Amino acid sequence: MANPILEIRNLHARIEDREILKGVNLSIPAGELHAVMGRNGSGKSTLSYVLAGKDDYEITEGEVLLDGVDLLAMEPDERAAAGLFLAFQYPIEIPGVSTMTFLKAAMNAQRKSRGEGELSTPDFMRAVKEAGATLNIDASMLKRPLNVGFSGGEKKRAEVLQMALLAPKMCILDETDSGLDIDALQVVAKGVNGLRTAQRSMLVITHYQRLLNHIVPDVVHVFSDGRIVESGDKSLALQLEAKGYADFDSEPA
Amino acid sequence: MMLKSKMPVRLNAAEETLIAQLRDAGDGAQAERLNVTGLPTRRVESYHYTDLKMLLKAVPPLVEAANSASAPALRVAGAYQLLIANGVPHPGTTAPAGVIVGTSDGAALSAHDDVLVRLNSALAKKSLSLTLEGSVDPIIQIDRRTEGAAAHSASSARIFVADNGSATILETYSGSSEAHVTNNASYIAVGRNATVTHITVDLSGDGVTHFATNEYVLAEGAKLRTLAIHAGSALARTQIFARFAGEGAHGDFGGLNLVGDGQHLDFTLDVNHGVPNTTSQEMFKQVGRGRSKGVFQGKIVVARDAQKTDAKMMMQGLMLSDQAEILSKPELEIYADDVVCGHGSTCGELDADSMFYLMSRGISKPEAETMLVRGFLEEVLDPIEDDELNEALTAVIDDWLVGAKQR
Ligand SMILES: Nc1ncnc2c1ncn2[C@@H]1O[C@H](COP(=O)(O)OP(=O)(O)OP(=O)(O)O)[C@@H](O)[C@H]1O
Ligand SMILES: [Mg+2]
Repeated sequence: MANPILEIRNLHARIEDREILKGVNLSIPAGELHAVMGRNGSGKSTLSYVLAGKDDYEITEGEVLLDGVDLLAMEPDERAAAGLFLAFQYPIEIPGVSTMTFLKAAMNAQRKSRGEGELSTPDFMRAVKEAGATLNIDASMLKRPLNVGFSGGEKKRAEVLQMALLAPKMCILDETDSGLDIDALQVVAKGVNGLRTAQRSMLVITHYQRLLNHIVPDVVHVFSDGRIVESGDKSLALQLEAKGYADFDSEPA
Repeated sequence: MMLKSKMPVRLNAAEETLIAQLRDAGDGAQAERLNVTGLPTRRVESYHYTDLKMLLKAVPPLVEAANSASAPALRVAGAYQLLIANGVPHPGTTAPAGVIVGTSDGAALSAHDDVLVRLNSALAKKSLSLTLEGSVDPIIQIDRRTEGAAAHSASSARIFVADNGSATILETYSGSSEAHVTNNASYIAVGRNATVTHITVDLSGDGVTHFATNEYVLAEGAKLRTLAIHAGSALARTQIFARFAGEGAHGDFGGLNLVGDGQHLDFTLDVNHGVPNTTSQEMFKQVGRGRSKGVFQGKIVVARDAQKTDAKMMMQGLMLSDQAEILSKPELEIYADDVVCGHGSTCGELDADSMFYLMSRGISKPEAETMLVRGFLEEVLDPIEDDELNEALTAVIDDWLVGAKQR
């Protein structure tokens, strides 16, 4: 049987003295989309940062394999080259770096890691224009400094644009739906659905069942106090919506 | 009883050499003065962070005429080039419309209580003399070079931009890779309602000590933009002395200090708003790598009757290593009461979240660093409108970013 694209085994991580991830187990086979839902502060973004390689965290136990390869041994840029992509909950504003320059650098870095030559400017422009059109991204936005002054929804769309351009094999979307208006949600959902393939896997972190009407998950996980406490099909999200998280608290009060 | 003033300073080798050179140049008075005071130490306020007595270890012999020439350090397509080689101005033969080139005896700077100014005035025998009239089309490049064996040289240029004129002047400093000490002076008078951009770029070799004094006088309604870039030398100090002499004038004073391992680079700015209704903005950025020291001292003086002065000074520093030191001393000296003046100073490292964000998109650590440093510096180059010039200056920064990595 083929490797799952993402395999997380008993992952524990702490920041300073505080343990935040307390034994995460998760396996996502190729082509599947899994949703993660859970209370504020339960550690969902921490999981996404640990996977992407942010170095604020100390990993105390466990392992993560991306398509069979040890992810935790790699630097963030190597993880990206290996096919991991994180759409940030809070994309970073970088004054002085134009979005276009950034996109080109990211795409060329990825081509380089695959042993391909740099993109020509016309090819690059074409790719950006095409991907931008499906996400209703205005060309003038891309001339601005990266994420600077973008509205909440624009930032999220720009994340999905990057994802489309970099064509990763494992996409993690951390609350990409929050801050989107109703129309933008449809646009982004369409963009994400357009990227679903039999080879590509996705992990979608969200608070809202509403998103999962548009982006239908194969599996829904409930995250509580640093671990996955329940998994089920898409009906689990409806159940959460109706009843809240109380039933899933690992140690009921 | 012994009088304090009779206590002789203990002179070091550099001072001994300078005194002898001043005597040889026929300036006994300056020689005697230096003999008494010595080079400024950290106790002299304007040299607090750049203790010349300590930093200037040796002064090579006075320069001889150049008989070879390296390539100019920076080429800007279409620029009109003028050469000052080993302190000797070489006015070209054919000048573009509106440009009158010649030489004049003596140095160009006004008297100033400063040792580098005094040395330049004593040692620069001839100045390149430029008069610019009307709207001068090509960029005027003054290519100052010190060629041959290690030498102490002084060079000087005097530039008048006529009323209503406009010009862009680029000065570059480079030469053979010996331990030169160069002392450069530029005096620029900006006429009424004239618009001037003046850019200086130090691209001297690793062992060079580079001094430059840029003096500006702004007449009524003048618009001046200056940008000084340090991208070379072991020890460099650029002094920017500006005087607002006519109402309605505006000055933008900028600087980029690119400080690599082993370097000590200093910008010292003194802007004097002497008349009412003038405005200025000062923006200096410093990037330090390796074990290095970057210095910015900025002083804005507003005279008693210079009402409605508006001046804002900013220094921003970026430290790329733990051993990079960035020093900043902004000062306001305000004698008028109806003015808007301010200054700020920030210093930090590359933002870790920004680095992570870029790297999470597959961009390598060095490339991400380069992008962020470029982004940090962009604000200073952005106002340079001439595309060729902007590109050339961007290339200076990029070269430094690449070169400094290996330094
Ligand atoms: N740098 C830090 N130092 C200390 N605690 C931190 C740090 N970063 C995160 N935490 C804590 O870790 C816990 C998990 O945070 P995380 O951002 O992963 O939650 P989340 O599940 O994504 O929440 P939300 O739904 O609100 O986005 C929180 O209690 C948070 O305060
Ligand atoms: Mg979160």
